[in-house]
Amino acid sequence: MKNKVLELRKEGIYCPDGDFFVDPRGNVERALITHAHSDHARPGHSSYLCSDTCKPLLKLRIGEHSVINSLPFGKKIKIGKATVSFHPAGHILGSAQVRVEVGGQVWVVSGDYKPQVDQTSEHFELVKCHGFISECTFGLPVYRWQPEKIIHQQINQWWSENAEEGRTSLLFAYSLGKAQRVLAGLNHEIGQIYVHSAVFPFLEHYKNAGVKLPEVIKIKKGHEYKFDQAMVIAPPAVEDSTWTRKFRTARKAFASGWMAIRGGRRRRNLDRGFILSDHADWDGLLEVIRGTEAEEIKVTHGNGDALTKYLGEQGRNCSVLEGARIRGEEEE
Amino acid sequence: MKKFASLFHDLDSMTKTNERLDRLITYFEDASPKDSIWVCWFLAGNRIKGAIKTGELRSFLSEKVNLPIWLIEECHDRVGDLAETVSLLAGSNSKNIPLSLAETIREFLLPLRAMDTEERKTTLYRAWDLLAMDEMLPFHKLLTGGFRMGVSKGNLCKALARVGKVEPAVIAQRLSGNWTCDDLTMEDILDPSDGEKDPMNRPFPFCLASPLQEKASSLGKVKDWQVEWKWDGIRAQLLTTGGGGGMLWSRGEESIDESFPEVLDCIPYLPPGLCIDGEILAWGREGLRSFSRLQKRLGRKHPGPSIQKKEPVRFQAYDLLRVNGEDMRSLCMEKRRKKLEDLMNKMPGHLPLGISPLVEEKDWNSLEIRRKESRDRGVEGFMLKRKDSKYESGRVKGSWFKWKVDPFLADMVVVSAQLGHGKRANLYSDYSLAVWDESGNLVTVAKAYSGLSNEEIEEVDKFVRKNIIGKFGPVRAVNPSLVFEIAFEGVKASGRHKSGVALRFPRIHRWRKDKKIEEVDTIEMIRGYAGMDENISMAGGHKTDLDGNLLLF
Repeated sequence: MKNKVLELRKEGIYCPDGDFFVDPRGNVERALITHAHSDHARPGHSSYLCSDTCKPLLKLRIGEHSVINSLPFGKKIKIGKATVSFHPAGHILGSAQVRVEVGGQVWVVSGDYKPQVDQTSEHFELVKCHGFISECTFGLPVYRWQPEKIIHQQINQWWSENAEEGRTSLLFAYSLGKAQRVLAGLNHEIGQIYVHSAVFPFLEHYKNAGVKLPEVIKIKKGHEYKFDQAMVIAPPAVEDSTWTRKFRTARKAFASGWMAIRGGRRRRNLDRGFILSDHADWDGLLEVIRGTEAEEIKVTHGNGDALTKYLGEQGRNCSVLEGARIRGEEEE
Repeated sequence: MKKFASLFHDLDSMTKTNERLDRLITYFEDASPKDSIWVCWFLAGNRIKGAIKTGELRSFLSEKVNLPIWLIEECHDRVGDLAETVSLLAGSNSKNIPLSLAETIREFLLPLRAMDTEERKTTLYRAWDLLAMDEMLPFHKLLTGGFRMGVSKGNLCKALARVGKVEPAVIAQRLSGNWTCDDLTMEDILDPSDGEKDPMNRPFPFCLASPLQEKASSLGKVKDWQVEWKWDGIRAQLLTTGGGGGMLWSRGEESIDESFPEVLDCIPYLPPGLCIDGEILAWGREGLRSFSRLQKRLGRKHPGPSIQKKEPVRFQAYDLLRVNGEDMRSLCMEKRRKKLEDLMNKMPGHLPLGISPLVEEKDWNSLEIRRKESRDRGVEGFMLKRKDSKYESGRVKGSWFKWKVDPFLADMVVVSAQLGHGKRANLYSDYSLAVWDESGNLVTVAKAYSGLSNEEIEEVDKFVRKNIIGKFGPVRAVNPSLVFEIAFEGVKASGRHKSGVALRFPRIHRWRKDKKIEEVDTIEMIRGYAGMDENISMAGGHKTDLDGNLLLF
């Protein structure tokens, strides 16, 4: 990719007129970060710029001593000859689309986004542009999300059924974003809520940003807990570790968009899969892409071939962002 | 449909057999008998056949949801299951008008077959508008026939036995053979009488042997065991009813009368109320022929006289389950064998009917040596049956064993991969395997799906994704470098495959991480195996008796 505003270099998407990268790899001088997930926010750059609510989360991810500047959503600044602003992406708290304007041409790098309602993150803002670089993690029409209220009801019902049987509910959810979104929907009257130590540090920043979360207990090493009827939230990475051994009789579930497909649920050998995603579903992708009124669309993150071909048949100028890494199923 | 949908999803998410059993019992206790009988029918392995062609289903769906066919194909590739793909795409959060399972089947599934395309489309559109989200997948599973719920027929019988307080074996017989939901009710199935009055036109559930995994000598004294050759044919039960009627049932409980009329011609010579268990074999004047010869008779519904003459078969009996209407299954093997011998000795010699001979040796070592004759004889090894064992239903452990010859092995390289289905959806788990041909090219000889552990499949999947060198529809050509040792049961010449050979039951024996592509075996070696399998040499000394039985001793 190369146009007047952005080009693709080996470190990632680059703006020559502003001399900055968006979500780069390697070591660069100036990195604009869409959100604090580790496949977007990597340590090792000289300076960082992100949204105000992203800043504390980014700090946790890449360390206290990095140089991190932040901007409120919507505020335009000049970097070199480029005008830059952040706009809510609705993916997780502080997640942003980066709008870059050079010589009257506007490009938006979406990062990860979801137009659906989520009480734990700023609501997605549609930004009109000439060029749109869209994620397409769930770029097939089999992915269609139900309103999150329904999923929260399903989770609470599952929890109370398990609690009635005297069983612990162990729910795997990515520690930043998904875990908080699950927590925000839990009915605290059913029982005590515990969280894995990887989930815990993010909670205070969510609360500081005004997100209502229930009281939780952080599970610490060497302590004894009564997990009987409790809900335990842990990152999926610990699923096969010795940590989960203490939950031998627990019912286990995973909250992720990947759970929409039965094979994905069954392969993990879990009791339940809750279809809760922080990405746009098929309809969401189409709605946003159309809404931006972009003349040129580049898709990245995921299997973009189908979406590209479909949009092409609809007469849109869409292509897969060459050189962009194909994302595996495990990261959401 | 609500209760059935909930049963379906519960069984799907359960991982333990006992949990599933309990769940099924709860369903039968709760659901209406009219719905329950359908669940029995499906779990007994029956399918609604020919309701719709998958191509038509795809095109209806494409029209309904306004998506191009290619995109539906992409989705199918990702999901790995057509019924689920349709459910995900066509499902809507609609007003759900509750219909029972039986009503749904009678209204939306059974009539499809006789409809014209337009009517079929209207019917399906209506179903899609009426069904709730969670009813979609069970509905489409019934529609496309790929219905599995992780409940074996044996466990269905156990559940029903517990609901009706009847012996599982009695239930099993009531559920076997061909029946429809019009001629059997839940009341019949759960009838507490002991089964004496049940009709005699259904087969008994087959007793299945387990593979012998220990040393044979761990089985105790040789004299406690009845030893036979393990025949390589089609397992079947031959039944006579009364008044000259009779039938032939395969192990899949399909009626195969029409395929083997010469076996049915034996019925007038047999006593009424008989059921014998045995094997249909390709059998010429010279004796046993290979399975590939028998295959020429398979799939032929009405073999004409010329093919009957060219590819003759015989029924090789090895067990007697019922005679004169009396159930013999609880007699011990030794006594059943005696009765079978008495019966078969009375049969005229011209009938295509034989008895599976016994192999008698004084100890396990001598048997082990005899077992090596298997390949030359065209059999798969030994069957070991405890002389004091009853004829049980389903797979048994400890009383019936198959002691098979070791499979053929060859090292092959993975040349292409395809996404799997079901639990393996979205994983490259189906592989095409190749060996070297004379001119130094790799030639595909087999496809294998099973044999790797889940961890290994994930590892291979990662490799495949990084090493794709070509794309042919759903097939991905991969850089050839993974070497697997493939086990298979036999080889035969095949005009359909480029390599000229087809393997029987190929599966992955192990992953040879230590081997390089240069060390992969050759097509010559594999053809060599074919020679052994194809030419079952009778000239080597085996003779047949007057009845055409192989004289094995």
